[in-house]
Amino acid sequence: MGVAICTEGLSKRYGDLLALAPLDLEVAEGEVLGYLGPNGAGKTTTIRLLLGLVQPTAGRAEIFGLDVQRDAVAAHRRLAYVPGEATLWPALTGAETLHLLGRVQGRVDEGYRDELIGRFEFDSSRKVRAYSKGNRQKLLLIAALMCRPDLLVLDEPTSGLDPLMEQAFRQSVFEAKRAGQTVLLSSHILSEVEALCDRVAILRSGRLIDSGTLAEMRHLSALSVEATFDATPPDVSHVPGVTKVEVEGNQLRCQVQGPVEPLLKRLSAVGVTQLLSREPSLEELFLAHYGAESNRRTAEAAHVG
Amino acid sequence: MSVEERRARTRGARARFPQFVVLRRVAGETSRGALIWGAVFGLVVVSSARGFVSTYTTVAARQRAAATLGTNKGLQALFGAPHHIATVGGWTAWRSLGLVALIGAVWALLTATKQVRGEEDAGRWELLLAGQTTRRRAAGQAVAGLALGLGVLWVVTAAITVAVGRANDTRFSFSAGLYLALALVSSPAMFLAVGALASQLAGTRRQAAGLAAGVLGAAFVVRLAANSASGLRWARWLSPLGWVDELRPLTGTRPVALIPVLAFVLALGGTAAYLAGRRDLGASILPDRSGARAHTRLLGSPLGLSVRLTRNVAISWAVGLGAFGLIMGLVAKSAGESLSRETLKQLGAPHGGALGYLGVAFIIVAALLALAAAGQVTATRDEEGEGHLDNLLVRPVARLPWLAGRFLVATVMLLILGLVIGVFAWAGAATQQSDISLGRILVAGVAVIPAAVFVLGLGTLTQGILPRYAGALAYGIVAWSFLVQLIGSAINANSWLLDLSVFHHLAPAPAADPNWTSAAALATLGISAAALGALTFTRRDLAAT
Repeated sequence: MGVAICTEGLSKRYGDLLALAPLDLEVAEGEVLGYLGPNGAGKTTTIRLLLGLVQPTAGRAEIFGLDVQRDAVAAHRRLAYVPGEATLWPALTGAETLHLLGRVQGRVDEGYRDELIGRFEFDSSRKVRAYSKGNRQKLLLIAALMCRPDLLVLDEPTSGLDPLMEQAFRQSVFEAKRAGQTVLLSSHILSEVEALCDRVAILRSGRLIDSGTLAEMRHLSALSVEATFDATPPDVSHVPGVTKVEVEGNQLRCQVQGPVEPLLKRLSAVGVTQLLSREPSLEELFLAHYGAESNRRTAEAAHVG
Repeated sequence: MSVEERRARTRGARARFPQFVVLRRVAGETSRGALIWGAVFGLVVVSSARGFVSTYTTVAARQRAAATLGTNKGLQALFGAPHHIATVGGWTAWRSLGLVALIGAVWALLTATKQVRGEEDAGRWELLLAGQTTRRRAAGQAVAGLALGLGVLWVVTAAITVAVGRANDTRFSFSAGLYLALALVSSPAMFLAVGALASQLAGTRRQAAGLAAGVLGAAFVVRLAANSASGLRWARWLSPLGWVDELRPLTGTRPVALIPVLAFVLALGGTAAYLAGRRDLGASILPDRSGARAHTRLLGSPLGLSVRLTRNVAISWAVGLGAFGLIMGLVAKSAGESLSRETLKQLGAPHGGALGYLGVAFIIVAALLALAAAGQVTATRDEEGEGHLDNLLVRPVARLPWLAGRFLVATVMLLILGLVIGVFAWAGAATQQSDISLGRILVAGVAVIPAAVFVLGLGTLTQGILPRYAGALAYGIVAWSFLVQLIGSAINANSWLLDLSVFHHLAPAPAADPNWTSAAALATLGISAAALGALTFTRRDLAAT
């Protein structure tokens, strides 16, 4: 399988601010990558670098083997992009905008375009200035999807959509995935990423701090266990791999990393009436990454103080 | 004061008088504009009075000016019938009222539609109306706010007109000064009301402004007809602009004409507030046209889009400059005869007469065209700054062809505007039997374009290097050059100072032959600067505003 996106030491600095530390990222063709991070982490900077809208301070990037700076036009023939902030020509109508963007892109699947207009319940007869943020977002989503590009670059594309339209969006990304299109989805809506993406990359203050498939990341992180007893729960805090123990009446909550056998042995020694365990959600993974950082900061602050 | 403090203050004020927030907002914004425009109106009075006193120093000269300009049918049609224009008062009233009635009306209708319809379109009223304010009360407050702004306009204008009356050689009474200011603001008053009413009838600010401008156009045409044909004299009472003429400040005042003015303002303002209560927020009484039919003819390429985005601006400029050219042509003969050869020479024309006058007037045309060019620099820069350009550049569109296309469209627009001015100036002059050939005047129109291309080119260069300053630089060059031209000719400045004005490098065509060498130099410099700007533009980060 080919490579859709490939960056080598791609970085961007604005004066003193390091917007993106040297980034090495590879996205395979047909893959859906979730690009995660809080506001200001460098997600949009990465995407603007990939699109050639800003120049890298160092490093380079390729899309389908085409240099994003030198061969921008050729690379752009194969991709479509939806920004988080939809700014369009206010004097054009929706239909005029779709016509223009389709012509400029060079290829449009008209049947699919009409299907998308129906799916997103989009009224294309109005002027852009009369559209709400959500409607402008729909317009740009339709404009991107209707070209059936090999690569979809989506930067927080659902920030203005209501839950129904969010469903329509997910359906469209599934279709793209099934058709073998590659998707780079930048988002901070974790449920969206969890539902759509094969792989995630997590960014924090301009640095890539983790990447991998959801299964891999879950494997590395803790399992949540919730147990109810007919008497006072046993003390499990010294069992290897167990953290975050909370006891509330006859209920025990904790997290366990690595093999679960020692914990199970300890629990079954007492009368367990109910046992629940589940994998961490992406949200918990995400918070674990950020939580670790903020805990460390607090500790440092306490130390200094 | 920091943003935080200002917000806190606004919050505090809103908490104390939540019911008057619309009134305060509209009154505040309108008054700020009124301060500036009141000063402009006053300056028109000052320059009319001072210009008359300094240009026509003797009674004989004044009689001659009155005889030539006062009988000019074209001028009468545009500015109304002159009364006693051999006197300072009569001349000042005629010139300033004719000009201010039009400028003031345009200011008023734009302000009213912005404050009433624009605020509603922007969704600011939605927040307020969620509180205790009703729609009718909000519209009533907006109308009241406009009235307060009008009050400020009158006070500022009156302060200057009264001061003009104190001067030794103009001399008119305190109350005559107040009445002159009243006459000057009567047209803005009526068109504030027209704008407020149009804002209720139309669905968007632009549509409302268009509707109000249509009313102004009709009023102008009716007065034009009434003033040009003697059999239609009565028709001047059908036009709001005709009532303004009939106020006759400084030349036998006629306060009776205030009755229709007042009735018009009250009727339209009241109707606006009444209609506001009868419709939904954001809706209109006239059918909504925001769902326009798709016109995709031009929307096949970035270049087509540039044409489409520039088209309306170009048409507005063509209408404005066409009108300017027509007036220029109409007055050319009379003005050329009434101005002395020395005055024209001082202004830069090699000889007198209609051609001499036009030679001077085309410097102003050059400045206006350069303004149009600066507007294109800003439009191109905003296309990038507001993020609209992103939509093209993330698709298979390269930066260089896009910017080159924008430059080309702007240049073609300037060329068309230059020709439009030439044609209309010729048409105006032809009605006055001035013996000027179309070819000669068209060449003069084309000869001023290189200065505009120079401004466009330097603006494009700035967009390549320091994008945030592109508009400021382009407008700065125009303002600087015009100022140097104005001051330089008055004080016989050194030639190096004049050399720093773009317009100084143009010969006063059609009075003289165009200086093609410097025109070619300006155009070449402009195009080279643009090319350099385009190269840097392809190598830098896109920058938001």
